[in-house]
Amino acid sequence: MHNVLLIAKREYLERIRTKAFIVATILIPTLMAGGIFSMAYIADKSKSTSHITIVSSQEPLATDLQNELEHGKDSNMVVDVVAPSPEIRSTLDAELREKSREEGIDGYLWITPATSADPTARPTFDYTARSSADILTHDTIKDSLRTVLLREQLASRGMAAGRIDSLMAPVVVNTIDAGGQHGSSRNSFYVAYVFFLLMYMVVLLYGMNVARSIIEEKNSRIFEVLLSTIRSEEILAGKIIGVGGVGLTQVVVWMVAAFVVTATPLVAHVAGSAAAVSISAAQAIFFIVYFVLGFVLYSSVAAALGAMTNSEQELQQLNMLLMMPLFFCILMLPLVISNPNSPVARLVSLIPFCTPLLMNFRVSLSMPQPWEIALSFILMIATIYAVLWVASRIYRVGILMYGKRATLPELLRWLRYS
Amino acid sequence: MPIVELQHVRKVYDTKVAVADLSFKIEPGSMFGLLGPNGSGKTSTIRMMIGITVPDSGTVTLFGQPFTRTSLTRVGYLPEERGLYKKMKVMDQLIFLGQLHGLDATTASKRAHIWCEKMEITEAALKKTEELSKGMQQKIQFIAALLHEPALIIMDEPFSGLDPVNAVLLMDTLVDLRNQGRTILFSTHRMDQVEKLCDNICLIHNGHLVLSGAMREIKSRYPANRVALNFEGDASFLNHAFIESAKNYGGRAEIKLRDGADAQELLANAVTKARITRFEVMEPTLEEIFIEKVTAEYGEVNTGSTVDA
Repeated sequence: MHNVLLIAKREYLERIRTKAFIVATILIPTLMAGGIFSMAYIADKSKSTSHITIVSSQEPLATDLQNELEHGKDSNMVVDVVAPSPEIRSTLDAELREKSREEGIDGYLWITPATSADPTARPTFDYTARSSADILTHDTIKDSLRTVLLREQLASRGMAAGRIDSLMAPVVVNTIDAGGQHGSSRNSFYVAYVFFLLMYMVVLLYGMNVARSIIEEKNSRIFEVLLSTIRSEEILAGKIIGVGGVGLTQVVVWMVAAFVVTATPLVAHVAGSAAAVSISAAQAIFFIVYFVLGFVLYSSVAAALGAMTNSEQELQQLNMLLMMPLFFCILMLPLVISNPNSPVARLVSLIPFCTPLLMNFRVSLSMPQPWEIALSFILMIATIYAVLWVASRIYRVGILMYGKRATLPELLRWLRYS
Repeated sequence: MPIVELQHVRKVYDTKVAVADLSFKIEPGSMFGLLGPNGSGKTSTIRMMIGITVPDSGTVTLFGQPFTRTSLTRVGYLPEERGLYKKMKVMDQLIFLGQLHGLDATTASKRAHIWCEKMEITEAALKKTEELSKGMQQKIQFIAALLHEPALIIMDEPFSGLDPVNAVLLMDTLVDLRNQGRTILFSTHRMDQVEKLCDNICLIHNGHLVLSGAMREIKSRYPANRVALNFEGDASFLNHAFIESAKNYGGRAEIKLRDGADAQELLANAVTKARITRFEVMEPTLEEIFIEKVTAEYGEVNTGSTVDA
């Protein structure tokens, strides 16, 4: 144990003193938080500000639509209304073609009145846009038209304006989690998503760190010196503990910072109430626990990969083995987001290689049953034990093998060496 | 009680026999040479002695007991492949390696300073290892192997890559250590380098023992039938009937005499033809003995074979 600690201490100190560690510890959460908050902020503030022209012979419909587009809940457009004339279309087309976006219009909406005598028949709407990819304006016009037409229909059936307003008022849905607390689904989604990305990053980063440091030691041939006093299992354990300790330090710093920042009203103050995010202590603690388990699992695999290869390039080729389960988690993410407690979500989050990402994601979204969490721990620990058994054998033989990369039959033979 | 004893040790890697049935003893306080060409199984043998690998069959005894890992704190090992942490400061590195060998940090630091002074690398002690020259790194590794004052010192190719000044410094240090009663095991393919150092040797080839015993005794087994001769003038005396083979390097000849031939007669013959500036009758060198033995047993010496695993 003394030797394991010595190795771990050396690994820990060597890494924690690097500038890269300090930069990553500070910069990554800053960038992440910045990205997420600005995403939330933009989503909240994004309204179409396009300048369009409505060409219509129906005065009330056109002005109602103009009103809705200029002062509606989700739009802030500039709208001109003109009456149709034979030459107006070519004038507008020319404007779209020749003038820049700043001085000209973004598009025009041509309203052709319904020809049938049926009172429910709708006019035809043709929107000619400067950019057909301007989905935001397109959707805003569509939504506003629906509102305007609905109002018109209701009014034509003799409903008073006041009643129409109350009928059309937006609905507020309060999200309350199972614990009876007021939450916001947007909020927990952001938290879960950030945690997912962070977990993905740190598990992969520190797993690869283990592999890389093994290759480095292999190339510097330090192993022979180490092995002349201590056992390969002690080196492996020390390395995983040391590198993991660095990762843990980083993660704890991040979690404490996240908890402190989100617990104070600072963020809400800066980014507006819509972007307020709160992280509970439970979420942070689960993140740390799943990070530790996930790191040990992935770094054991990485240790075996490192011992099998001789250079970074060779390692790159085997990286896939490490990344595949993580990619699988990303593929499964939509399923878990839409229904965190569906049977599929439950199943995939219990796969030990996915647990750190997906179970933790579910924890952040809506707390799974205690037995699920307990089972995920048991499965992960059992898998870690099995993977470590294999990895330590590959490691023991691999670190003294220089030259060509090991083939699969060779690996199987290594497992049998005693 | 021998410090190290190998009995019928055998190690096979996949299909390659690295060591085939090797037995030898190393007596305390002696300097022992494990000699052989590249790929003859020297490093494999050493790795089995210190438990990096386990022999397929046969036994290894260290300090009179069957091999245990605890006895490794009494062994200092300088591997053939030099290895140090590149980014670590020299002093930190020495202390770390000392601690791994069971020293506490204070003792390790104290001894590291003394050794750095002795090896003339004090100014390098606070630098990072990667900033140092190869020879410097080698000295550091050398210190790392000796810091815990081991009773048995194992040096795998200790002089490779060292300039003559440093090689002599290293050799003198090793002789000092031997005089202090430590046991030293050398492994090298440069037989000429250790000839004057070793008390006992073991010559191996392709994992087989070719020759072993006390250096003096082995040498005395072979007659002094080599002549080194420097001359000016006619070289025709080199065709004398006494001479089995001769190499002439433009005035410096290395001659092997036939059995029973008298060197004096050769000298008498030579002075009539050329002007002799040096005439020395010698024992064969270790290298010559090795080549002779191996050629006799295996036909041809196959040096430079596969990996030195």
